[in-house]
Amino acid sequence: MARRLERLDRGIKVRSDDVFALNSWREMLYIIAPRVLPVLLLLVLGLAATPYWQRVIMQACMIGLLAISWDLLASVGMVSLGQALFFGIGAYIAGILDHYAGLGPWLTIPIATVGGAALSTLLLLPVLRLRGIYFSMVTLIMPLMIERIIEATKIFGGTEGLSGLQPMPHALVEIIAAMAVVWVALFSFNRMMSSDYGLILKGINDNDRAVMSAGLNIYLYKAQALFLAAGVGAFAGAFVTHAYQFVGMPVFALDYSILPIAGAAVGGMGTMSGPLLGCFILVPLNELLRGLGGMRTVIYAVLLVVFTVGLPEGIFHFIKRKYTQFERWVEVEQ
Amino acid sequence: MFQVSNLMVFYENALAVNELSLEVAEGQMVGIIGSNSAGKTTLLNTLSGLILDIQLKERRKGGEHITVLGTITYQGRDISLMPAYVRAREGIVLCRERHPVFGDSTVMENLRIAGYLKNRAQIKRGIDLAMELFPALKALTRRKAGLMSGGEQQMLAIGMALMVEPKLLFLDEPLLGLSPAMQQKVMDAVKKALKMANTTIVIAEQFARPILPVIHKGYVIENGMLTMTGTGEELMANPEIKSAYFGI
Repeated sequence: MARRLERLDRGIKVRSDDVFALNSWREMLYIIAPRVLPVLLLLVLGLAATPYWQRVIMQACMIGLLAISWDLLASVGMVSLGQALFFGIGAYIAGILDHYAGLGPWLTIPIATVGGAALSTLLLLPVLRLRGIYFSMVTLIMPLMIERIIEATKIFGGTEGLSGLQPMPHALVEIIAAMAVVWVALFSFNRMMSSDYGLILKGINDNDRAVMSAGLNIYLYKAQALFLAAGVGAFAGAFVTHAYQFVGMPVFALDYSILPIAGAAVGGMGTMSGPLLGCFILVPLNELLRGLGGMRTVIYAVLLVVFTVGLPEGIFHFIKRKYTQFERWVEVEQ
Repeated sequence: MFQVSNLMVFYENALAVNELSLEVAEGQMVGIIGSNSAGKTTLLNTLSGLILDIQLKERRKGGEHITVLGTITYQGRDISLMPAYVRAREGIVLCRERHPVFGDSTVMENLRIAGYLKNRAQIKRGIDLAMELFPALKALTRRKAGLMSGGEQQMLAIGMALMVEPKLLFLDEPLLGLSPAMQQKVMDAVKKALKMANTTIVIAEQFARPILPVIHKGYVIENGMLTMTGTGEELMANPEIKSAYFGI
């Protein structure tokens, strides 16, 4: 007797997708738990951790923001290899405003977010018309180029960078603000992508000519998506600048471009939650392995390969599937 | 020469091909007639082995479960689990729908790529055959394949499939998007190819009118199920076929 693996939605998922969800605590919990539990878990971890690990969690939040920004761009068909561009521009704007004008973090971070987004969008505007690999190549090279410009012209402190910037008011404010921004970015972008506006963005990735034929200016939409994504990245840069009270050339380093993509590869692309989860695994893992010295990079790389080969869909997609669907063997009548 | 028995293909929980059995004898031209979504492409992908690759890729990325049940026998051997590239070496070749050619290569390059497994003499013979079947290609040998019209690309795609010297050639919707005049030209060439390349041809199509007069045997499928079998003349005389496919 031949058998095949059948895959069906769980009953509770089907019920809670519908208005019936409001009739039962169990169904409501089914919807709410996967959204609230991670928020609470991170909050508890963040508050209970030692100052060192609080910094690691903050770092993971910031890389997570870069990953969310990367995923947003990727779902509009722009694969960025240069998240460090957004991060670095935000970091330098905040650093410059603080160092030369003495504005505190409450002013520099918002200004750097909006200003960094605008500047990054302007810088990348000419390459919006390029598709696929060309956009990636330009974004890859841009942060490296800016890094060299700063080194050569010695502006903004040159290789020394700007130090002694104003710190965050309190370590607690820092960690809570970092988490809050991550969750706001995640949930609002997810909401946006499921709205009509997000549909257009996804359509541009799927078939940009069809979107053009629908009478929409895809370059305008791409520029808007780029502005949003760059803003998130610039915020992360400005935030880290004030947390470390320093800004220098390393903010344009390749790490900030590669880590978000690695997070997306491990966590699973296309959902924003996946890349974020990936970063929350990779960044602390990176710290844990620090005790191993030279072997750290090797083990880290091997784990990355194991993840991407063993679970190419990403951890998040795997968990989500198990949560919403079940599988069973059924006999096929022949 | 080629038998399929009780073939079933599931995409996740949807049944695309349902208990389908068919038989192809050597040297014949067999038609598989069905409207859109009847399961023609799934059937040909399964027969040529491509489905095994699609299945693997879907499983790896956690996508749809594809289940294939039933047996495919070729020259007395069960080839149900043989990968597509081995089947092509054994002479089972599929010409996929929507004329897939290498868009950035010229017509001549395309033909040479298709004949990669063959030796020099065979390649020359294959190119001569393609040029004889489709004289229109002669003037286009240096043209980029991606910039040619749909009909020209279809001719090239069939020519490329013939380069492999198939013993059994599957054509998936060779008439898709072609004008009636072009359809006739392609069908004439296919008829000629059956004799000249000494092969066996299975054509899956939704345009029954140009196909039915040419085939030795036809299978009509609907929703993945076999609904009718017969020779070309029998099917043409059938009132249901007349109303469904000829609009009479």
